Amino acid sequence: MGSNTTEAHPIIANRMKKAVRSGLKIIVVDPRKIDMVKSAHQHLQIEVGSDIALMNAMMNVIIMEGLYDEEWVRKNTVDFERLKEKTAVYTPEYAAKITGLAPEEIIACAREYATAENAMIAYTLGITEHHCGVNNVFDIANLALLTGHIGKKGNGIMPLRGQNNVQGAGDMGCLPNQLPGALSITDENNRKRFEEHWGVKLNPHVGDTQTRTFERMEKGEVKALYIIGENPLMADVHMNHTKKLLEKLELLIVQDIFLTETAQLADVVLPAKSWGEVEGTYTNTDRRIQRVREAVKAHPGVKEDWEILCELSALMGYEMSYSCSEEIWNEVRLLAREMYGGMSYERLDKEYSLHYPCPDLNHPGTFILHERFHRPEGAGEQASGFVPVGYTPPVEEPDDDYPFVLTTGRRYEAYNTHTQTRYYQEGVKIRQTRETVDIHPDDAKRLFIEDGETVKVSSRRGSVHVPAKITEQVKPGLVFMSFHWSDVPTNVLTINEYDPISGTAEFKACAVKIEKIS
Amino acid sequence: MEDIKQVKTVCGYCGTGCGLILDVKDNQIVKVRGDKDAPVNKGQTCIKGAFAYKYVHAPDRLTQPMLRKNGTLTKVSWEEALTFIAEKLSYFKEKWGPDSISMFACARTTNESNYITQKFMRAAIGSNNIDGCNRT
Repeated sequence: MGSNTTEAHPIIANRMKKAVRSGLKIIVVDPRKIDMVKSAHQHLQIEVGSDIALMNAMMNVIIMEGLYDEEWVRKNTVDFERLKEKTAVYTPEYAAKITGLAPEEIIACAREYATAENAMIAYTLGITEHHCGVNNVFDIANLALLTGHIGKKGNGIMPLRGQNNVQGAGDMGCLPNQLPGALSITDENNRKRFEEHWGVKLNPHVGDTQTRTFERMEKGEVKALYIIGENPLMADVHMNHTKKLLEKLELLIVQDIFLTETAQLADVVLPAKSWGEVEGTYTNTDRRIQRVREAVKAHPGVKEDWEILCELSALMGYEMSYSCSEEIWNEVRLLAREMYGGMSYERLDKEYSLHYPCPDLNHPGTFILHERFHRPEGAGEQASGFVPVGYTPPVEEPDDDYPFVLTTGRRYEAYNTHTQTRYYQEGVKIRQTRETVDIHPDDAKRLFIEDGETVKVSSRRGSVHVPAKITEQVKPGLVFMSFHWSDVPTNVLTINEYDPISGTAEFKACAVKIEKIS
Repeated sequence: MEDIKQVKTVCGYCGTGCGLILDVKDNQIVKVRGDKDAPVNKGQTCIKGAFAYKYVHAPDRLTQPMLRKNGTLTKVSWEEALTFIAEKLSYFKEKWGPDSISMFACARTTNESNYITQKFMRAAIGSNNIDGCNRT
């Protein structure tokens, strides 16, 4: 669901496609006819942002037709009646109107998923980058719980993560509410564990998310922002607004490997070591910790991220001193021992990878989470509650002035704001070297737009000039763009509406118009 | 060949976590291939993982700190840059409190650097205003 796996996670896509040859059935839920559709058993080409209507209707069918294990649900879940009540109105016919699908397609998908011996749901930002992103994820969890497709091999929920260590960054405590090892900052005992080792008193209040930081920047409450290896000017929604906020800061510090668009606005720029120049570990999308190693010596003028922060910390009066990354990792293992205690560098070097939780050196790591759901006596105290949710349409729907839905994503050969993928090895043939607005042949014909012709795409927030790519990958009324190229800053167009819980912006849906230039 | 060193590592692009073998010659990465022993990719790589590594040696890599002076980013020493930041942050912390400072952490750097990033914010600054692109 909402994952263009072939382009964004090519190796995972290869493994999925290979499994098709051994009998795996793939159902693609995506507004675009993405490459994976070619390998799919079914493609549900839903309207952008209508995921909850689809999933609630699937659960409606599963409950009505009794395609779930009543005893399993009773032993392992809470609030089934609330789920039943919430999904009752989402008949396949009702959901068909919202999703643009036929009722039969929804019924078929529900039956396939519920009755499969093993089934998993892989999703990515097509699910989370909506004003209702958290509710979308809750509904995926509802589906998995209702059908028992969780906690055993070949089942589960698989969020495919977009950065090499986005999982690890959060797990290490780079979140406003969590200490390393996913320990809540508001819990006194958790704080005490770190306070004793670090020798300081910790702030007990949950901090600001990125979204909240931008809000407080607007009010002038944030004076200094320190950004490490990120290019939010290009990557975040409503770019013109982001730029104003960054310029408003008294101090912007950017630590990076290139002078990115964001770094150009900074007051101080610090040069950091890159991948290939550092030792350490990354945590991948399935909780797997693996070693990364120094291959080349960095330029003598640059320093590693942690070295810079340790030096700065000492200047500010709090001494942090480490001789190598392994020493830091051993502190993580000590303080977040339930998760990483057993993962020494020595073991990682020998065993290649280990899944957390891995609390001690004899522990094999945890390949499958949530196995409690399959004990004969059930999950008992650890039963999981359904969180029924309702469908809400995208915040900005197309209208007469802005008649197209714009959805955004990545393209195969480029990566995010393209600072790194500008540098390919010589001789590699690149299919897409510039941004395009992908538009359906019917729409192009109606607007007299030819393939490759530069057009103006505008939203209520700004406009860009970009060549059109005529393709049946999108439906009539839907256009697609990525955000890789700085000469076409797509995020000038996107909308600054956010999920109220996660703070994630609605990158996947805004209204635009398309005009011929000449 | 004798002058080529091989280094095992993990890809730095998406979250799949493919194991790679880098061929290194004269302190330059000259070839990247999938590691057959890697549990995730079993020797495979995508186009980015195999070929989009030249940025490491790009001529426009930053190699010296820069400080804005009279409106222009100007090259300075590490000492000058870090002293400037330390003085400013200490002043903001004193005058407006630790929550006047925010950190956007990095989803591309190591666990070890991320651990130090949050320790810096929580122990040296005294704020939990730390987040990353986890939400996008």
